[in-house]
Amino acid sequence: MKPALSVIFFTVSSGAGLGLLVWLLIASLMGNHIRMDATTFYKGAALAALLITAGLISSTLHLANRKNAIYALTRFKTSWLSREGLLAVLLYPLAALHLAALHFGYPQLPPITLWTLVALSIAILYCTGMIYGCLRTVPRWNTWLTPAKYVLFGLMSGAVLLPAVLSLRPAEVGPIGKPMMAIFLLALGLILYLAYLLKHPRNTHTINDALGFKQGNVRLLDAGHSHGTFLTNEFGFVLARDKARLLRWIAIVCAFIVPLVLCWFTKAFWAASSICIVGLLVERWLFFAEAAHVVRLYHGQQRV
Amino acid sequence: MRLGLAIDLDTCVGCHACAVACKEWNGESLMGGAPDYDAWGKAPTGTWYNRIRHFEIEGDPTYSPHRCGSTSETGKHEPLSKTVNVPMSCMHCEEAHCVTVCPTGASYKRAEDGIVLVDPSRCMGCNYCAWACPYGARELDENKGVMKKCTLCVDRIYDQQLPEEERQPACVLACPAHARHFGDYDDPQSKVSLLADARGRQSMLDDLGYKPTNAYLSPRKPVEIKTELPIKSGLSDKARAFVNRLIQL
Repeated sequence: MKPALSVIFFTVSSGAGLGLLVWLLIASLMGNHIRMDATTFYKGAALAALLITAGLISSTLHLANRKNAIYALTRFKTSWLSREGLLAVLLYPLAALHLAALHFGYPQLPPITLWTLVALSIAILYCTGMIYGCLRTVPRWNTWLTPAKYVLFGLMSGAVLLPAVLSLRPAEVGPIGKPMMAIFLLALGLILYLAYLLKHPRNTHTINDALGFKQGNVRLLDAGHSHGTFLTNEFGFVLARDKARLLRWIAIVCAFIVPLVLCWFTKAFWAASSICIVGLLVERWLFFAEAAHVVRLYHGQQRV
Repeated sequence: MRLGLAIDLDTCVGCHACAVACKEWNGESLMGGAPDYDAWGKAPTGTWYNRIRHFEIEGDPTYSPHRCGSTSETGKHEPLSKTVNVPMSCMHCEEAHCVTVCPTGASYKRAEDGIVLVDPSRCMGCNYCAWACPYGARELDENKGVMKKCTLCVDRIYDQQLPEEERQPACVLACPAHARHFGDYDDPQSKVSLLADARGRQSMLDDLGYKPTNAYLSPRKPVEIKTELPIKSGLSDKARAFVNRLIQL
């Protein structure tokens, strides 16, 4: 598949923002352990809102006809893309309600809005994953590992961002302890990513299945077009194997190992979260670049 | 009604006339619009609702029993090439996943005749439906930014002003080999249903569960031609052989 930069940025940026929102809200409940003053909370919330909003705006950049984007909220009964958009739009008024309840002092409301926001954020991450996971035409994506990856990597990058936000607290609060949630999720993320690399569906369909000639060798004589088409442009992207291997290692090292080491041994949380996000961008680029659509079988590829 | 095409893989000669006729009819039509990009330039491309691809099948014993030799003798396929031309457009699937994934409701499948269409006034050009289509039936109109696809010439087949025999998709009318047929698969006596039953459908990615309406009629199995002459032994044959021998003396 063509790795569209706007979609890659959207999924990583919104994912990190939603993850940060989840952990920020949960941290705000743990006043005894995580001493977070209101200013730091608002700074973190602003960062989360910035990441989510930048991602959502970026996601509209690849639309060829943006003026009809408003209709995308209407088919939530069947379409994961619609569900994702609708929930993302619902997030804003709910977050505003939560902040208003905190600010104007309605103590009975924040527990409800807080946990609804947490659930909504995770639901959005799941919907984003299912946009890709539900496609039977891309066997590599059509597995439960895809939504699991989106949810876990979002929560993971948010968990790495939380100590970075907490480092903005006034000096008299004292140093930040070891961010155990970030470390746990980075380790879990690494395991899930390795599991995905080893266990994703592969070679599920052959060119024989595509044409229904079950026996013999089938090969393309002529694709019928002299230059590229919409289909070759959209689905024809092929990544060189050695380049893929290099990028996979960059993703593993940057998204998981380096942030894990930095979180465990140092207090360089901004560096850890930036490197983690760079690694996730590489991982997401690979997610698209390595995926093969079954329509490639009709363009001569032997198996997908 | 369940309207669709039956495409004969045996008689299709791969001339691309159906694609050209499609482009001609839909290029400027109300439902369609299939623009070309850089049409007279170095790398011409464009939006097509129908594309013809050409494949070679090597050593399929089903289609070459007498020329191929028995596979049991050698244990592997003997090389023999068969060329099939495969025109592909929208299959108007019964389980049209392109419709269910569409977030805007621009893609829809008509209840009355099963035709899958795109409403250009709702489409936002996200390409998601093209991703969901295994057959490459959907292509973006880059000028208007909306998805385009085969409409089964919905603006021809119901047009009362056309003579009845012309109320068919443009590709079907254009096909010089009569390899394309149009009809209602819900009617077991329709031409397409009878053809699909008699000839069998090629299974094209059926395991994905889209249930395509269009049928690709399997190539006919070749009839084995016996090379030795039949030996007859009736009285008239004997007499004829006797006369022949006399003449040749």
